[in-house]
Amino acid sequence: MHDSIPVSPGRRGFLIAAAGTGFTLAFLRADSSLADSKLAPAISEQEAAPAFDPGIWFGIGRDGIVTVNIARAEVGQHIGTALARIVAEELEADWDKVRLHYVDSDPRWGPMVTAGSRSVWQDFDPLSRAGAAGRIALIEEGARLLRVPVAACTAKKGVVHGRGRSVSYGEIVRRGKLARHYTPEQLQAIVLKTPQQRTLIGQSVQALDIPSKTDGSAVYGIDVQVAGMVHARPKIPPTRHGAKVVSIDDTAARKIKGYIGAAALNDPSNTVPGWVMVYADSYAAASRAAELVQVKWRTGAAAHVSEQDILAYATRQLHDASLGARVVDDGGLEQAFKGAALTLERHYTTSTVLHFELEPLNALVQQIDGIWHVHAGNQAPSLILPVLAQALKVAQSHIVLHTYLLGGNMGRRLNGDYCVPAALAAQALGRPVKLICTRADDSHVDSPRSPSLQHLRLAFDGAGKVIAMQHEASAGWPAQVMFPAWLVKDKQGHPYDPSAIAGADHWYTVGAQRVRTVSNDQANSSFRPGWLRGTGPAWTSWAVESFMDEAAQAAKADPLDFRLSLLQGKGRNAGGAERLAHVLRRAAEKAGWGAAMPADTGLGIAATGGQERGMPTWTACVARVRVDRKTCMVQVEKLTLVIDAGVIIDPDGALAQAEGGALLGLSMALHEGTAFLNGAVKDSNLNSYLPLRMADVPELDIEFICSTEMATGLGEPPVTVVAPAIGNAIFAAVAARVRHLPIRPEAVLKALDRYGAV
Amino acid sequence: MHNIIVNGQPLAADVDPQTPLLWVLREVAQLTGTKFGCGIGMCGACTVHVDGRAVRSCITPVASVEACAITTIEGLSPDGKHPLQQAWIAAQAPQCGYCQPGQIMQAATLLRDYPQPTDANIDAVMSGNLCRCMAYVRIRKAIKLAAASGQEMPPHA
Amino acid sequence: MPFAVCCTACPACFEWNYRLIKKIVAGLSILLALLLALAGVVAAYYWRPALAPINPPPAETFSRQLVEQGRVLAGIGNCAACHTAKDGADYAGGRGLASAFGTIYATNLTPDTQTGIGRWSLAAFQRAMREGVRRDGDHLYPAFPYTHFTHVNDADLTALYAYFMTRPPVYAAPRANTLPFPLNLRALQAGWKLLYFKPGALAPDAAHGQDWNRGRYLAEGLAHCAACHTPRNALGAEIASSAYLGRPMVHWYAPALTSANTAPLPWTKDELTAFLRTGATALHGVAAGPMSTVVEGLKGAPDSDVRALAIYFADVAAAEHSKTDVDAVVKAAIAHSQKVSLVDNDRGASLYVAACAACHSNSDGRPVAVRPELSLNSAVSLPDPANLLQVILHGSNKPGLMPGFAQALSDADIAQLAAYLRRSRSSQPAWPELEAAVVRARAAQ
Repeated sequence: MHDSIPVSPGRRGFLIAAAGTGFTLAFLRADSSLADSKLAPAISEQEAAPAFDPGIWFGIGRDGIVTVNIARAEVGQHIGTALARIVAEELEADWDKVRLHYVDSDPRWGPMVTAGSRSVWQDFDPLSRAGAAGRIALIEEGARLLRVPVAACTAKKGVVHGRGRSVSYGEIVRRGKLARHYTPEQLQAIVLKTPQQRTLIGQSVQALDIPSKTDGSAVYGIDVQVAGMVHARPKIPPTRHGAKVVSIDDTAARKIKGYIGAAALNDPSNTVPGWVMVYADSYAAASRAAELVQVKWRTGAAAHVSEQDILAYATRQLHDASLGARVVDDGGLEQAFKGAALTLERHYTTSTVLHFELEPLNALVQQIDGIWHVHAGNQAPSLILPVLAQALKVAQSHIVLHTYLLGGNMGRRLNGDYCVPAALAAQALGRPVKLICTRADDSHVDSPRSPSLQHLRLAFDGAGKVIAMQHEASAGWPAQVMFPAWLVKDKQGHPYDPSAIAGADHWYTVGAQRVRTVSNDQANSSFRPGWLRGTGPAWTSWAVESFMDEAAQAAKADPLDFRLSLLQGKGRNAGGAERLAHVLRRAAEKAGWGAAMPADTGLGIAATGGQERGMPTWTACVARVRVDRKTCMVQVEKLTLVIDAGVIIDPDGALAQAEGGALLGLSMALHEGTAFLNGAVKDSNLNSYLPLRMADVPELDIEFICSTEMATGLGEPPVTVVAPAIGNAIFAAVAARVRHLPIRPEAVLKALDRYGAV
Repeated sequence: MHNIIVNGQPLAADVDPQTPLLWVLREVAQLTGTKFGCGIGMCGACTVHVDGRAVRSCITPVASVEACAITTIEGLSPDGKHPLQQAWIAAQAPQCGYCQPGQIMQAATLLRDYPQPTDANIDAVMSGNLCRCMAYVRIRKAIKLAAASGQEMPPHA
Repeated sequence: MPFAVCCTACPACFEWNYRLIKKIVAGLSILLALLLALAGVVAAYYWRPALAPINPPPAETFSRQLVEQGRVLAGIGNCAACHTAKDGADYAGGRGLASAFGTIYATNLTPDTQTGIGRWSLAAFQRAMREGVRRDGDHLYPAFPYTHFTHVNDADLTALYAYFMTRPPVYAAPRANTLPFPLNLRALQAGWKLLYFKPGALAPDAAHGQDWNRGRYLAEGLAHCAACHTPRNALGAEIASSAYLGRPMVHWYAPALTSANTAPLPWTKDELTAFLRTGATALHGVAAGPMSTVVEGLKGAPDSDVRALAIYFADVAAAEHSKTDVDAVVKAAIAHSQKVSLVDNDRGASLYVAACAACHSNSDGRPVAVRPELSLNSAVSLPDPANLLQVILHGSNKPGLMPGFAQALSDADIAQLAAYLRRSRSSQPAWPELEAAVVRARAAQ
């Protein structure tokens, strides 16, 4: 029913290599050194060096404390707690004795990227097996110490029991001789717990990262300070690409107390062309001085590019059928449209959206004994290490990216470009440099979600059956610009960025289906398109789920019934379509679908398969919306979400992610959106960029389907369903169809004027 | 030289009088719990108490708080067990956590003014604090938990 | 047809015009002579001799009690507002008062013998206050509100004299005024005095009680409230028939103190007492800018004097006759205060939600002074946006710390925010050209 268990290739490769020397679970006495330096515990930096270290996953100290290594970025999803729980479940650890250790960048961790809502899905199996492997070794050794047959022993909450006797994990580590090899095949053969046997997974626990976030002790990248560091604020050129410094005049800045100087950066990696750094002995001074430093640039071509240019370019691109890649390409499409009794055709657009992560971009770089230490919150060390190496002209092995909590990320820190100017500055000055962007700087160097244009067509036959559907999209491609290794190829060998089209390959049975994705190179050359929570599905769903409603209208069918009629689960949609249908029905039922609504109030429905077909999270949303006909302002009264994400590791944590994701979806549906103007976004701070505030949070009703299926991601899927549900609800309320995000009152007014027009 | 009292301790800051209090706290006092988010007083991440009341420190020049008593998140409670901090943990409110010191400091003033706040009170007083993770549901829940706990909101250092 | 051409073309016309011109010139000459004679008479009437300089009396010659009395009176008169420059020594003068005619610099009131009033006798001091004439006999400009100080009684003048003569002397030569000719001829002030100066004490008004009369004595005299709150004519004189109708100042607006005041709630004597005593009330707002220095100056005054001023101005405002349903207005204001949403197509509303509501919203049926309720706030309902813009830009120290948003918000932002407050928090017509007003307000500090 679902794909085979995905283990990240990096980890699998590592495990196999370790098996060559034996996957040694090395036991150490207090006076002995590590048996195998290749498996040197990553936690050796800690004072109490753990004595039992099953490879890279976790270690147990003589005090019985279990420290789990977390190679994922903590961005608010409490991933450390989730992953530690997966280990602790199989390890039968005492949860109160579990600690987290967020690791710095190192090749032993394999590819280090936290994205795509994939962490739990990717790590569930390897971590479970590592925990189980540890438990088995502890039971064996515990049995020996207890002088009880292994078969008569069990482990529970950090203690091995047998025939009335018991010995704790800590004591086993202190007294026993833990040594156990696992080949990859042996690891794979371990029988994991059934869902019924689980005691930790599925329960809500308090996230281990939360207490420090309530008393000011949590450390984010921006909080790091080292002695002797120089503070820096950048002067951002008018265009992200292609700018060159012509002159720098710092006469006015020299009167600022603490000002040190200003200089252009020389960047071999071309990550930050045209950047000038302004240095001072405090950030306040650097920031003020930067206001006074006058820089003249020769700008890149994007200085003449504005939002409507990008969309006009996209329009021309979509007219050229030879461009792009075909993600889905069934035969018989053209014939179906030729023979269609009714054809529906629509365009949908979305504006540029900023990440606006609350902790503005920052990095502190310091060289010590030939090693470059980069201190910054980042969710993809693997992507930026090669770039830093190129910029600094050193080997990657000479660079360490130290891990910190991330202050509100939404995907911005997948692109670690902000580390480069700090590194170059530190290299140029020979001193540690701490770079902090102001909010306006941050907005101007954001990797925003690209504006998009989508074109959809649907064909009905004479009996009202859907016989063909075509979906084409043009937007900037983040992977193409920032990590081409993530591009995949279609059947004809044309590369494409999955994150810029996923979701268009939906689960509805629509006859002959074609999905084409085109890279908007004007977008790519004007800025760095980024991954913003929800990525492609957050805007492809705007088109697909709005279009489904418009198709239902054309078919004179109820939007829910119409969708269910297409979720037949045939062929490639088998399995998935049923689960999607289930969440749709459940959401509709909860929200009172079909009941009479007060005046100018309507219900709208939308559903997606989450971030990608390979890891589907079935998500449905019903929005109840009221439209004020006079002002055309849209009030979202309630959002009902039903989510099937398989096994839920932590119900409360899952709920928190769904709440946050749904509200982000709402924020992007009604309140957030900016536009490029002459090469830069026109809104750079909260005076004109308006993310959702407390006062506009609607009633939320969120339910998870009880499931024992494979755990899938939750950080992003809730984002994808809200905007189309709202758009559909507006239509249900006042028969005004909007096709652009964000939805503004002016658009509702215009659509009202065309009452009923299809 | 500017003299302020931070969490009960005197602090002398030899900085330009226009330096925002936020940077004096973060860099001179080395208290990094108070955060920088927007620099224009519209996200609330920089919220501290001046003589007991919530103020946006990123737009407050240090000269304007000469001789005032400043309380930061680190000084809200000697042991991190202020009723709001306990409620924040009980409700599992923080996600990334970056906005939460400011949220808690603002909520402390909210509860001083409105010990049993309505939803409307919470909307009005807390909407200046942006939570980009949109953890608003739990922030609201935590405020109500703290209010319902019946505990006295401690006076400030 | 141009006269020059006309006169050569037509001799008859020229003859007739020439006679006409002669008549006009003759008439004008007579008129001019009369005016000069009149001016001479007036000047002579207002001429004052120089009073002999004295040796500065030693401080011990003034009793501590008298000096303290004088200190309190100097606070009520807010002398420092004009006579102490920003960052300058106390009472050493040097602050420029901009007027339509140029800038007049306040003089040095310290007892310095060369640049201050160290050589002024009590009589000279009294004459300056009561008649607007300085020791050397020259007229003082009415920027110095002698038209009000003329009402101050002997005892108070004696106390004030004692206070100023016991200040630390500061050598600070007065700056030259920038008045153009002929305004810089002090003798011409005689004409102004003829038209606009009524010297002497105010007779008690038997129709009102002791408190009201005390209040009037202070207000019309030393406190010189009308100097800011009454409109002036083209020659810079207060327009008596428009007493207390308010007027724009350089960067602020002095509101009307009569029933023409636009604040939603009446200025009762309790409100005025609290406002003048503490600088802020829950139902009206905050004393900002120049008014905050007035409140500061009144700090030394006894409660009875503050109460007296309040009683007087409550009468000026006809507050007791107000038909306003206070409870209904407050209730509506609070209800509005609770409505906070981004769902509004007005950028100003969004700015308010994010930047202002946290501190300015109210609840529980009654606003509190520490959460200034903008629906009730005087600044929002004034004919001029200056006061509101000043506070948004530069903040306020009372009742709680409000930071200024000058660096945080653009001119357009502040204009939209002010427009939003005006339309949603007052029933007054929209302010025109707000963005230009913001630009002007920024220049103030």
